[in-house]
Amino acid sequence: MIQIKNLKKSFRTEEVETLALNNVNLTVEEGEFVAIMGPSGCGKSTLLNILGMLDNPTEGSYHFGGEEVGKLRENQRTRIRKGNLGFVFQSFNLIDELTVFENVELPLIYLNMKKSEREQKVNAVLERMKIAHREKHFPQQLSGGQQQRVAIARAVVTNAKLILADEPTGNLDSKNGIEVMNLLTELNQEGTTIIMVTHSDRDSHYAHRIINLFDGQIVTESQNKPFEVNA
Amino acid sequence: MFKTHLLIAWRNLRKKRVFALINILGLALGFACGILIFLFVNHHLQFDNFHNNEDRIYRVVTEERRDDVEYESAVPPGFAKAFQSDYDFAEEVASYYYREDWQIDGADEKNSKRFREDIAFSESSFFRIFDFPLVDQLSGRTLEEPNTAYITQSFATKMFGEQNPLGQNFILENQETIEVIGILKDLPANSMISTPIFISYPSIKAYDDFIYSGSWGGINGSLRCFTLLHPNQDIAHIEQTLIELVNKHRPRSKNVHRYKLQALSDIHFDNRYDGINVSLLWIFGLVGIFLIGVACINFINISTAQAFTRSKEIGIKKVLGSNKKHLFWQFISETFIISLFGMLVGLFITLLVLPSFNSLFELDLSLQSLLDIKVAGLVLTLLTFVSLFAGSYPGILLARILPTLALKGKLTQRDAGGQFTRKILVTAQFVISILLIVGTVVIGKQINYAVNADLGFDKDAIVMLSVPEDIEHIKLEGLKERIFQLPGVENVTACLASPGAGYNNWGTSLRYNNRPEYEEFSISAKMADDDYISTFDLQLVAGRNFRMSDSITEVVVNEKLAQKLGLGSPEELIGKQLELNGGFIKATVSGVIANFHDQNFHLDISPVFIAPQTNAFHEIAVKINDQNVKSTLNEIEQKWRQVFPKFIYEFSFLDERVQDQYEEEQRLLSLSKLFSGLAIFISCLGLYGLISFFVAQRTKEVGIRKVLGSGVSGILILFAKDFCKLILIAGAIATPIAWFFMKRWLENYTYHTEISWWVFVMSISGLLLITLITISYQTIKAATANPTKSLRSE
Repeated sequence: MIQIKNLKKSFRTEEVETLALNNVNLTVEEGEFVAIMGPSGCGKSTLLNILGMLDNPTEGSYHFGGEEVGKLRENQRTRIRKGNLGFVFQSFNLIDELTVFENVELPLIYLNMKKSEREQKVNAVLERMKIAHREKHFPQQLSGGQQQRVAIARAVVTNAKLILADEPTGNLDSKNGIEVMNLLTELNQEGTTIIMVTHSDRDSHYAHRIINLFDGQIVTESQNKPFEVNA
Repeated sequence: MFKTHLLIAWRNLRKKRVFALINILGLALGFACGILIFLFVNHHLQFDNFHNNEDRIYRVVTEERRDDVEYESAVPPGFAKAFQSDYDFAEEVASYYYREDWQIDGADEKNSKRFREDIAFSESSFFRIFDFPLVDQLSGRTLEEPNTAYITQSFATKMFGEQNPLGQNFILENQETIEVIGILKDLPANSMISTPIFISYPSIKAYDDFIYSGSWGGINGSLRCFTLLHPNQDIAHIEQTLIELVNKHRPRSKNVHRYKLQALSDIHFDNRYDGINVSLLWIFGLVGIFLIGVACINFINISTAQAFTRSKEIGIKKVLGSNKKHLFWQFISETFIISLFGMLVGLFITLLVLPSFNSLFELDLSLQSLLDIKVAGLVLTLLTFVSLFAGSYPGILLARILPTLALKGKLTQRDAGGQFTRKILVTAQFVISILLIVGTVVIGKQINYAVNADLGFDKDAIVMLSVPEDIEHIKLEGLKERIFQLPGVENVTACLASPGAGYNNWGTSLRYNNRPEYEEFSISAKMADDDYISTFDLQLVAGRNFRMSDSITEVVVNEKLAQKLGLGSPEELIGKQLELNGGFIKATVSGVIANFHDQNFHLDISPVFIAPQTNAFHEIAVKINDQNVKSTLNEIEQKWRQVFPKFIYEFSFLDERVQDQYEEEQRLLSLSKLFSGLAIFISCLGLYGLISFFVAQRTKEVGIRKVLGSGVSGILILFAKDFCKLILIAGAIATPIAWFFMKRWLENYTYHTEISWWVFVMSISGLLLITLITISYQTIKAATANPTKSLRSE
């Protein structure tokens, strides 16, 4: 599904050039659950942003579903991202001015889906995430765990092939964290590819593969026997 | 998607109420001004556009060419008849002679109404030229008959109440009984003709010999000549042909007439001939755009300043598949919603201020005027324009935000951009404010200069009483004597008009000391008795006052005449013979008075003669002392009523009359005050919004500075210095612009004030002060807050 070769990413300010990613090579197959780990500033989030097509690499190639996407313009990246990729963030990143229902509905609006179809899909995903009873609430009226479930609902409502999760349990207590990881595992078991950036050893054990980054380079890569759901 | 845009916009508005209020109020004020200015401009652009033969209707006017050209909206009384009979250019020609405030009385015991009204003597052809429809008339009767009239529906109700006005009579100026033979639909508000009474032209015989006689000897400024030309006439050819009439009827006159045809559509806008100054309309339009622009700037500034607080929302939307176009249109939708609210409030404000606006401009605009299709078009145009203009820049900025930074909360003001643009826009607001303030101060200064300048005559504590025309001189003398006996009265004179009256200006030709030719310039006639000079405290510089006699044998002139004649001193005029008024007056100069301002400051002082032509006296001027003014005025009224029991008593103070000459300037001043006040207020709203936002952004910094020892003044300076810099830059930009335009405006006056340096210093300092006051509340609040709180909150 994903193949990146010799990928580099540097950030230039007026005086300094910082190399955030240096010759990263990575392949992710469909249906995999990959955890990316490493200390702060090692380039995890930069890699996730590039994988999520929010940013372009400075050098190297990035193939997504066989198509080179590393040098696309923003509009082209947006077109590919829509419906294919879902995002889950540490700080949930729900839109405060929209209700739960409206937040989950938003990606479907961008896909120009009909209203009736949107309602059906949103209701289904909210039921599945056990948050339907809160559909008219605004994000501020929900607990952290509930907000993250809404965020996951939003990520999967388009039947995304790939979910990119950036420290999805970072702002949650352990109980809610486990619930979220179970949800992601369930989604993975149903065929969704998941790439997750995390600091948490425990969360990384839900993944099939753990990649360790250091100073912008992959230093270790290990296979893992994932936890079972509800562990 | 649009629904989602609107939903977010609406919830954002509710969440950020203060900013929404600032934007809505600013736009509402801008829109209200824009709509009012549009109504005003539209009213003027629609003038006289309702006549079927609009394109063939002309007014004949006169260029009087002496040593300079004077423009008269009138023609000699003999012109209309000659133009009709001697040529075949016109389908219809009509004379129209209007008079203001003539006395109307009920003609029988049942109708004792008495009031003053503007009237006109008009030929019946007038109603074949113009479309002023009759709603009813006595059959077989026409305005060809003497002592008949058409009146408007409103006047009919005012005069005769519920009675059928047809066949009813009224008395005009206590002389002739006039029969109503036709009722006209009320004249539209956008008509230059506004008299409610049209008296048949032959009736003029009893009131004005000069007009009735069809003379070519001069021009009465109230006599108009309108014509409906045959189709496809060559105007230049007609004007050229009309030179024949001058050669035929005024062969030797030094006042060379050129008769010009003025198209109906030009009449209202030709300020050489009493029209309005069309540039004023454009200035108003520009000010309207400025004010809306100032409100838009608020919106852009506040939106761009807030851009990075919305970065999370933008970032999420981008991640979820929104592209720049979606985000751009989302912001345009938000602007549209705010503009829509602004427009609703603006329309409400417009309705509220419409009565005051009507009274300031003597208009008759109503709710109906707001329901006009053109206003609807304007509203839509403004909404679209403002949404695009004010929404597009913040929209572009927001759409440009990088989602990777936004979602991490690492976006700064600098990343969000727009800081430099914001500075430019705030400076632009300041420039507009300074321009309007300087304009206001200069207009006020000029009015103050004109009203308080030494006019060369005494205008204080002088009461002007009108007297009926054609009254016997002996009666007038009797009244003068009775008034003079009153203890509160210092002096009394009977005259045609006071100095500085601004009207009843009677210009005539002059032959000096039996020179073979008349002079190239005209001289103004001030007909008055021998108390005129002392009552108005005019200063004799040579000779003596004239002596009253049955015929005019002596006159007093002003110094300007000596200058115009090229004489070395005023004394040279004493004893010299003047032939005036086409030879009707032949008199010796008995005295010379110092120059005085007989007209407003737009015009140069002209040569003047004062002569005792008793049948031309229309007013009595009474100089009173400042003791018991009220009882003196009552006593003057009593004396007047005893002499003229059938007439309406009216008086005015001369100083107010002089001020009235600057009515247009006063109106302009009121508007400038209003517009500059609004521009400042709207700008301050924006500044308040910006400073509130900046203070909130820099709470932590303020806390740290306080911990490190900064006082309130230090914090105030921290926030104020940027704005002060911008005001100084704005001052540097606005000063030459304001100086250039106000200098040009002052050049319209022969006598004018100077634009002093302090006008600019005061305007810029004033704006600086207002700005500091505006930003001080939020800044002091931040500066006096407990720093531990702000540091903890971070």
